[in-house]
Amino acid sequence: MLLEVEALNVRYGRNHAVRDVSLSVAEGEIVTVLGANGAGKSSLLKAIQGTVSSSSKVARFSGNDLLSLSSHKRVSSGLVLVPEGRQIFVSMTVHENLLMGAYCRRDTEVAADIEGVYGRFPNLAQRRDLPASVLSGGEQQMLAISRALLARPTLMMLDEPSLGLSPILVNQLFDLITSLNREGLSILLVEQNTHKALQTAARGYVLELGRVVVEGTPEQLRSGEQLEAAYLGAG
Amino acid sequence: MLLVQQLISGLMIGGIYVMVAVAFTLTIGMLNFLNFTIPALFMLAGMVAWGLTTVGIHWAIALLGGVATATIASLIVERFTYRYMRVRYGDATEHALPLVSSLGFLIVFEHLVLIVLGSEIQRFPNPFSSADFYIGGLIIGIPQLASLVLALLIVWGLSTMLKRSRVGRALRSIAENPDASTLMGVNVNFIVPVVFIITGLMAGIAGMLFTLNYAAVNAYMGDEVAAKAIAGMVIGGLGNIWGAIAGGLIVGVTEVLAIHFFGADIVKIPIWGLLLVLLIIRPSGLFGHTAIGKGKF
Ligand SMILES: Nc1ncnc2c1ncn2[C@@H]1O[C@H](COP(=O)(O)OP(=O)(O)O)[C@@H](O)[C@H]1O
Ligand SMILES: [Mg+2]
Repeated sequence: MLLEVEALNVRYGRNHAVRDVSLSVAEGEIVTVLGANGAGKSSLLKAIQGTVSSSSKVARFSGNDLLSLSSHKRVSSGLVLVPEGRQIFVSMTVHENLLMGAYCRRDTEVAADIEGVYGRFPNLAQRRDLPASVLSGGEQQMLAISRALLARPTLMMLDEPSLGLSPILVNQLFDLITSLNREGLSILLVEQNTHKALQTAARGYVLELGRVVVEGTPEQLRSGEQLEAAYLGAG
Repeated sequence: MLLVQQLISGLMIGGIYVMVAVAFTLTIGMLNFLNFTIPALFMLAGMVAWGLTTVGIHWAIALLGGVATATIASLIVERFTYRYMRVRYGDATEHALPLVSSLGFLIVFEHLVLIVLGSEIQRFPNPFSSADFYIGGLIIGIPQLASLVLALLIVWGLSTMLKRSRVGRALRSIAENPDASTLMGVNVNFIVPVVFIITGLMAGIAGMLFTLNYAAVNAYMGDEVAAKAIAGMVIGGLGNIWGAIAGGLIVGVTEVLAIHFFGADIVKIPIWGLLLVLLIIRPSGLFGHTAIGKGKF
């Protein structure tokens, strides 16, 4: 297993946001985490990334104990998070955002990798020296994903990447996720767009009030009633 | 002619205000707090340098010792205000605690100096006492000219560093969004002390230039300079380096012209008057954005 967590808990004071969650991602796999607003999806990803504190029985990534790695070191070990709301640096240019993505790297191939991004996304190439604030929502999501790719991750976690995108852009986004996965990237995808997420992922987990209520293949998740209940119950 | 002479002196003293204003604006832009220890760091550089000359150390080495002391003092402040508060109470940038505790450090540093070095005005050896030159009847003092040039060079270097270097980008990313910055692999706890080192160096070098310019030091030398630098920073726009440069020079020139036309007694009125008028017509300052603090480099 590339990523493996067992009995992970996140508490914000009295608010027990993630409760005994166990989850794994195999190498090359796309795994999705579904659930209503407030179910604890973002908290789960932030705990794995190390930007909120958590407790767990097991937390391993790529053979390393995650507890021994502070958040910024997890990035250089190949674990990146594309956060909810993209969080690109709007006071910087598109190019500077990409350079920030490669912050953890010391090798000489950064420039070539950035050119690779520009090859994939001509829109970003055209706007490379403009402030990232001029990008459209779809372009900002492309930038956020490209920025994360520049860390040369082995596992990319995406927190609701389709939020606020038009249906056409959502399709393009899921195509991109699929093709990145074919190139060897493992993916942990948090989504509200259940339909697209289950089309793309090999396995999924459904969170309700911080707990995993059901897990399995897309078929298993779709056929059961828990998925619907998880949304109706909390929403 | 006399007026031109005054303008030149104003720009030269303005160079010192620029450095102090940039030190203030950097902490505001990066960490969102007004660092009150800056006047103390400025004063420490001058007073420690003077103290070192009294025990027979060469003035140049003494000045470097003063700057080093200011930088170390700044790191001590980081350790015991900003970092301590952050560990203890979460995100320190959202609290008034660093501001209040830095005010405490200002008082502690000033009183330490008062106890050890006394409160009198002390003469610092003037190595360039006759080093003036003349251009068409205008007198230009070499230490004054050197300090203006050095101040502008340092600020230019700092701004280039922020714009082009890896550390500079990391600093700007923290100023805009520290959480996203961590997701890029930036170690925020390592970068924040960098801001304090830069602050200590800027305030210390400004104190050194002031000491050379006036060949005199005392335990309160930082207070007035800092007040003028803050005025300059606000005039230029909070959290903006170019604003701090323009504001510092404007305050220097205003000060000298006010002395020329109205006498030294009322020099504060035109500076703070200018500040108030500007705040009424342009609340964000000359170069400022509307919101205070985040992401302006
Ligand atoms: N920084 C925080 N401080 C306190 N409570 C939080 C914080 N972040 C999230 N929560 C709470 O934790 C719960 C889970 O939130 P979150 O992980 O954002 O869920 P989701 O991403 O599934 O919408 C919610 O009740 C939310 O209010
Ligand atoms: Mg969320």
